[in-house]
Amino acid sequence: MAEVTLSRVRKSYGAVDIIHGVDLGISDGEFVVLVGPSGCGKSTLLRMIAGLETITGGDIRIGGRVVNDLDPKDRDIAMVFQNYALYPHMTVAVNMGFSLEHRGTGKAEIAERVKWAADILGLTHLLDRYPRQLSGGQRQRVAMGRAIVRDPQVFLFDEPLSNLDAKLRVVMRGEIKSLHQKLKTTTIYVTHDQVEAMTMADKIVVLNGGRVEQIGAPLDLYDRPANQFVAGFIGSPSMNFLTGTITAEGFAAPGIVLPLPEAAHELRDRKAVYGIRPEHFALDDNGVPAEIVLVEPMGSETQVTMKLGETQVTGVFRERVSLSPGAIIRVRPDLASIHLFAADGGERLN
Amino acid sequence: MAVAQENVAPEGRASSPFWTVARRDSLAGFLFIAPQLIGIIVFVLIPLGLVFWYSLHEWNVLANTFTYTGAQNYRMLIEDTNLLEVLGATAIFSAGLVVFNLSLALLLAVLLNQKLAGITIFRTLFFSPVVVSLVAWTIVWGFLLQKNGGINGMLQVFGIEGPNWLREETTAMISVIVVQVFKNVGLNMILFLAALQGVPNELYEAARIDGAPRFKQFRRITLPLISPTILLTSIITIVGSLQVFAQIAVLTQGGPGLSTTVLVYYLYQQAFQFHFFGYGSTLSILLFVIVAVLTFAQWQMRKRIVFYES
Amino acid sequence: MKAELSPRMKVFLYGLMCVLLVPFVFPTWWMVTSSVKPISDIFAFPPQLVPQSYDWTTYQKVFELQPFVQQYWNSAYIAALVTLGTMVVSSMAGYAFARIRFPFANTIFMIVLLGLLIPSEVTIVPLFQMFLKAGMVNTHWPLILVPIFGAPSVFATFVMRQFFVTLPGELEEAARVDGLGRFKIFRKIALPLARPALASVAIFTFLHSWNLFLEPIVFLSSADKFTLPQALTQYTDAYGGPMWNIQLAAATLTALPVLIVFIIAQKQFVEGLAHTGLKG
Repeated sequence: MAEVTLSRVRKSYGAVDIIHGVDLGISDGEFVVLVGPSGCGKSTLLRMIAGLETITGGDIRIGGRVVNDLDPKDRDIAMVFQNYALYPHMTVAVNMGFSLEHRGTGKAEIAERVKWAADILGLTHLLDRYPRQLSGGQRQRVAMGRAIVRDPQVFLFDEPLSNLDAKLRVVMRGEIKSLHQKLKTTTIYVTHDQVEAMTMADKIVVLNGGRVEQIGAPLDLYDRPANQFVAGFIGSPSMNFLTGTITAEGFAAPGIVLPLPEAAHELRDRKAVYGIRPEHFALDDNGVPAEIVLVEPMGSETQVTMKLGETQVTGVFRERVSLSPGAIIRVRPDLASIHLFAADGGERLN
Repeated sequence: MAVAQENVAPEGRASSPFWTVARRDSLAGFLFIAPQLIGIIVFVLIPLGLVFWYSLHEWNVLANTFTYTGAQNYRMLIEDTNLLEVLGATAIFSAGLVVFNLSLALLLAVLLNQKLAGITIFRTLFFSPVVVSLVAWTIVWGFLLQKNGGINGMLQVFGIEGPNWLREETTAMISVIVVQVFKNVGLNMILFLAALQGVPNELYEAARIDGAPRFKQFRRITLPLISPTILLTSIITIVGSLQVFAQIAVLTQGGPGLSTTVLVYYLYQQAFQFHFFGYGSTLSILLFVIVAVLTFAQWQMRKRIVFYES
Repeated sequence: MKAELSPRMKVFLYGLMCVLLVPFVFPTWWMVTSSVKPISDIFAFPPQLVPQSYDWTTYQKVFELQPFVQQYWNSAYIAALVTLGTMVVSSMAGYAFARIRFPFANTIFMIVLLGLLIPSEVTIVPLFQMFLKAGMVNTHWPLILVPIFGAPSVFATFVMRQFFVTLPGELEEAARVDGLGRFKIFRKIALPLARPALASVAIFTFLHSWNLFLEPIVFLSSADKFTLPQALTQYTDAYGGPMWNIQLAAATLTALPVLIVFIIAQKQFVEGLAHTGLKG
């Protein structure tokens, strides 16, 4: 168990900077998810923590010890890879015990540790199989088993669920989460899927272009995104944005004026971006008019693509909407859930 | 590394060790390639330099002479009337070998690619000469090709008087080509077969739906898709044909006359039978240049003849 | 191409293949059967496809005229050493070229590939001089050292490299996290997975060494040092003409063991060779 600290960590290939000075503190036992679009540097950052990539600048500490120049094997970490990286020529048991073998652990203890891990993950009946004889979910479990037998200070996960089908992904998501609750090992988890990030993390780190956009608890990121990028990245379907100007009457977007909360009036006359999540529209006869473009019934809710003035937005309603494209409905934005961002730079204004 | 851990300073800031991961990896890389690299230097590069150095000398081992003569040997190369015949024989041998080898290999591969019961048995038998000892194979053929040997015996059963295969210029050349092709065509056949099996079945299905007849399918789909393999096998086969020595030495000793004296055999005669090491070295340089030019030319051709590269 | 064939087409194809088989199979049959015919029958007319009478003394003479057992051993142990050595050298070099980043790796690889371009005949004269100076002429060293380290092993290195390039990088990273250094990653992870490529390297290296002809006749001069291909040509009468039946008997002894191994393991042979990364 250990805390992990990154201070001003940088990475560049030649003149190209991949990671621009990342600061991050992870406390003991925390489950941290690094999330961001592909190419944002999240995997690189994880691999730098693992020691698979060199770091160009800054310090990485694990349990108070600077590990910048240490080999992966000396960092006391375990890693679960995207394609599991199970050794094809070894049985499940040998795969799981392999790292202990190279640390001089006795045979009896290896067997005991492997059995312990297999019990936790429900792999006991598969110990003599080879990886090619396993299903995707089983391989995933073996990969985790290999990580936990060593009882390392930190678990690192690199997009471990991206090769599973949608259903299995939800199941394994739960398993990883409950495994963490059982073992309480510090965990750093990389994904591009914000749903995974929201459901699993104690703390989310949103990365973009090699920079940290925001660090916070999942619901904090959802409720108060620090900028337009995070606002658009977290939440599904993603937040609607309208550009326009803050005026006395409300927010003047092309072809429509939208209501604003009281507090926003001090920002009057500023050009801004008006953000509202699809689930924060309500059907209301006193609301603003919206022209329906597309209706997608989901059963539990209805997703409606509509035009607010000249801007196309998405709304999600509990009610069933059975109107054809072209019809006009009236919707009311929830004033408490309106986000305003600077038109230049996208920083949060309210 | 234990060493690195000891270096941890009290405040937790490690001093960078000299043997970083990258440095250790570089060292490992050099150690891994060292045997091969040293081997190439000692057994290829240095000899290549030496052979060039020798080629500038008049060197007769028997007479024990070793004198620098500059381009003298190269002038001899141009004036050597035998060499013209040798190069002609080499060209005929290589061209005949490549054409016969590749077309037979392709025919056999297409046959073996059919859905027929027991096809592996045929594959095994067509391939079997590859594993028969080269000289043993050549000896049997030499035996079969004797004036009163098996082949003429069979022909005589049908009332045909066969030629003295290895003692007449045309038939001797045909014989050495044929013996070599049947020995090694199995290799190219297997490479072609692998290429044929790599052509996605969907393409043939699509072509059948489009109504393309079998022959057209072969010409428009199969050949373009296996063209990289055709190029590669033709390079290997041509370079290989320039190295054929044992068959000539056993079957014809280059005869009759110089009709089957290919460059390698001529080189061997000059250097190791007549002990002209200087001139032999010059011939080696010639052989090297020919191989290099051919390989380069074929490699350049790939842009034009290879339709598709994975 | 994969459409069902009509029965008539099938008969035609079988017939065609049987005819084509003759020059591939008949020589081996003729070699074996002629080697047991009495000398008077080997040129008999009409040719005897099956021997009418047998004379086994030919085989006795094979061993009487030359130290054939010794020569057999020479060929076998040289081929075995060359095969093993090549597997070690080429798998290490192939691995490094495919997976380790080190300075000048590409340049060195190009230099090594030069070995593919240079037929061994080109360098035979200087190699003879070098081994003469080293006092190694009429020993087996040239036949062992040159193939393992020199040009002939470059093809093997190339094949191994092509294989190792396809190995998923994650496996090696997992091994690093598991605590393995470079050499152990090579030995415990990469090499066991390279078995198919190693098998094909072993097969063609063995055949190459077993068939070597120019090098033995250049480097070796005494009968007890000869290798098989060279020994086979030495069964000649006083006039230099071949003693056919004895040559054929010796040839049979040379060819049959490899042929039998091949027929037993033909799948590995054929697929191994198709596997050499030459598919283009």
